Amino acid sequence: MSNATETARSTTRPSESWELHRTITPRTIGVLLIIALCAAFSAKNVELDKAVTETWTAIKVMVGLADESRVINGAANFLAKSFPMQISTMQETNRIEGFDPNDLPLFSYVEVRTEREYSVLESNYTEVTSEFLIKPVGYLVKVAVKMWETIEMALWGTVFSILLAVPLAVFGASNFTPHRALYEASRAVCSFNRAMPELILALFFVLMYGFGPIAGIMALALHTSGFLGKFFADEIENADPGPQRALRGTGASRLKVLRFAVLPQVLPQYYAYVQYILERNIRTATVLGIVGAGGIGTELKGRWDLFDYDHVATILLAIFLTVVVLEFLTQRLRAKAM
Amino acid sequence: MTILKFDNISHQFPDGTRAIREVSLSIPKGELCVLLGPSGAGKSTLLNTVNGIVLPTGGRVVLDGIPVEPANLMAVRSRIGMIHQQLHLVPRLSVLHNVLAGLLPVTPTWRAMLKLFPVDQQRKACRLLEEVELEERQIHRRASDMSGGQQQRVAIARAFINDPDLVLADEPVASLDPTVSRHVLDLLRRASRQRNTTVLCSLHQVEFAQEFADRIVALRHGAVIYDGAPDGLTPEILGAIYDREGAAPVTAPHSDIAAAEMAHAPAALAARAELVG
Repeated sequence: MSNATETARSTTRPSESWELHRTITPRTIGVLLIIALCAAFSAKNVELDKAVTETWTAIKVMVGLADESRVINGAANFLAKSFPMQISTMQETNRIEGFDPNDLPLFSYVEVRTEREYSVLESNYTEVTSEFLIKPVGYLVKVAVKMWETIEMALWGTVFSILLAVPLAVFGASNFTPHRALYEASRAVCSFNRAMPELILALFFVLMYGFGPIAGIMALALHTSGFLGKFFADEIENADPGPQRALRGTGASRLKVLRFAVLPQVLPQYYAYVQYILERNIRTATVLGIVGAGGIGTELKGRWDLFDYDHVATILLAIFLTVVVLEFLTQRLRAKAM
Repeated sequence: MTILKFDNISHQFPDGTRAIREVSLSIPKGELCVLLGPSGAGKSTLLNTVNGIVLPTGGRVVLDGIPVEPANLMAVRSRIGMIHQQLHLVPRLSVLHNVLAGLLPVTPTWRAMLKLFPVDQQRKACRLLEEVELEERQIHRRASDMSGGQQQRVAIARAFINDPDLVLADEPVASLDPTVSRHVLDLLRRASRQRNTTVLCSLHQVEFAQEFADRIVALRHGAVIYDGAPDGLTPEILGAIYDREGAAPVTAPHSDIAAAEMAHAPAALAARAELVG
């Protein structure tokens, strides 16, 4: 009522006295103040103040105004040990079962090293000579194999994710679901799967299936099926209803309409989603090994805990290269599909 | 022999508008019957009562002895081919498969899922596509890559592929230019003549109706005001169909469009009718 009279008044007033648009009002100032206050409390809560002081000290150390900073120490510690990167492997020959010096693996050679060992009991040095088998690119090969296993995990994870997502999508599309309850159930399953992080799912699957890539594949498949199920279902719901109605009108069953009037329409989008999920799965698969679910993450975690930062550097480089190559490949694929 | 019978049917939409008022028609086999009338006269509603998309609130429709009821909807629909006003082909599906989609009700599910149609069915689709003057190189292209007229020709092929007793065409040339429209309607008439298939087609272009129809049924306000041969359409009758006052926008959901069209329709139509007749 008051609205109507207000409109009536403003239309009759001369334009000089019309109310103009104002960007800053007492209300916006109040809202901004409240947001700032909340942000301040939250910042204290998550120790942002500490982060600022530590970073500031680090900067002072770098320009020579302070002596010590734990930020700089940590970074220097890693960098000092990580260079040069580890690319070879070295193994004591008498620990290799059935070692034959006349039949060495490809490119490898035997090195003899003499080391002085200090004996505490006798408080003197003894010289110990031992033979080592050196593989010049052994560690690179090992990392490459592990990396390939990671990619395989991601591929299988994506395949199973699609298999899980297809029924979820059909039941979860409001225009194709056989029953309202199934629709709700499917949407709930999708939300649950999306909400459970892969690392936590992987923990459960490691408990159930033991260490190894199977746990990782299952965690990836379950988590991403939540995404794909939702994306696929939304796409089915948004497909142009005209062709569907035309085929329904001829008496075709729902399943056939889905196949002929919906699938051709949604397929390009499905490719894009699957591509995104595959990319995501490869990135995630690299860290799943941290909880023992296979892939390169297991090696990474092991070396990190042993402070073998030179090995870690090799692994990180491998992950980085894989992601870059993957990015390049998917870009190419996308360009081709268009 | 009567193939389609409208038995005193009426339809009232939930909002109270009466789209059809006591229409009784019988359409013999092989006839090309055109429904004429301004937008909102009830043409589409009448067509939709035949395949059960609209269930009339009064009276009943009988197709070849089968009453159109929810219980035997599938039986009825399997005997009807449908051509729509908007080009309702599946855009990213090939032309050939769009035609074969007309066979989906009789195709086993596993074949449909794998898009595995038997050779004889594919041949039949090819013959129909040839009949509507499409070429071999076009049939594997996506339907969305075709022009409007070509798409509507594909739709004709799809409507005829399951050997229907009746083809319903809801303003099949509404979105096409006159030359293409004439071609499409000509192909539709030829296809129906060849198979002795009944066609019930709604149009809003009077000259096309007069050119192609065996019989014209004119509707206004959902009631039949003319039913007879095309040459019987005198300027007076046309004036009555498209009367400015008579077409008052009460029956149509697109009533304002109808009103706008009607505002300058009578004069033009009278002139056109004189030219033709």
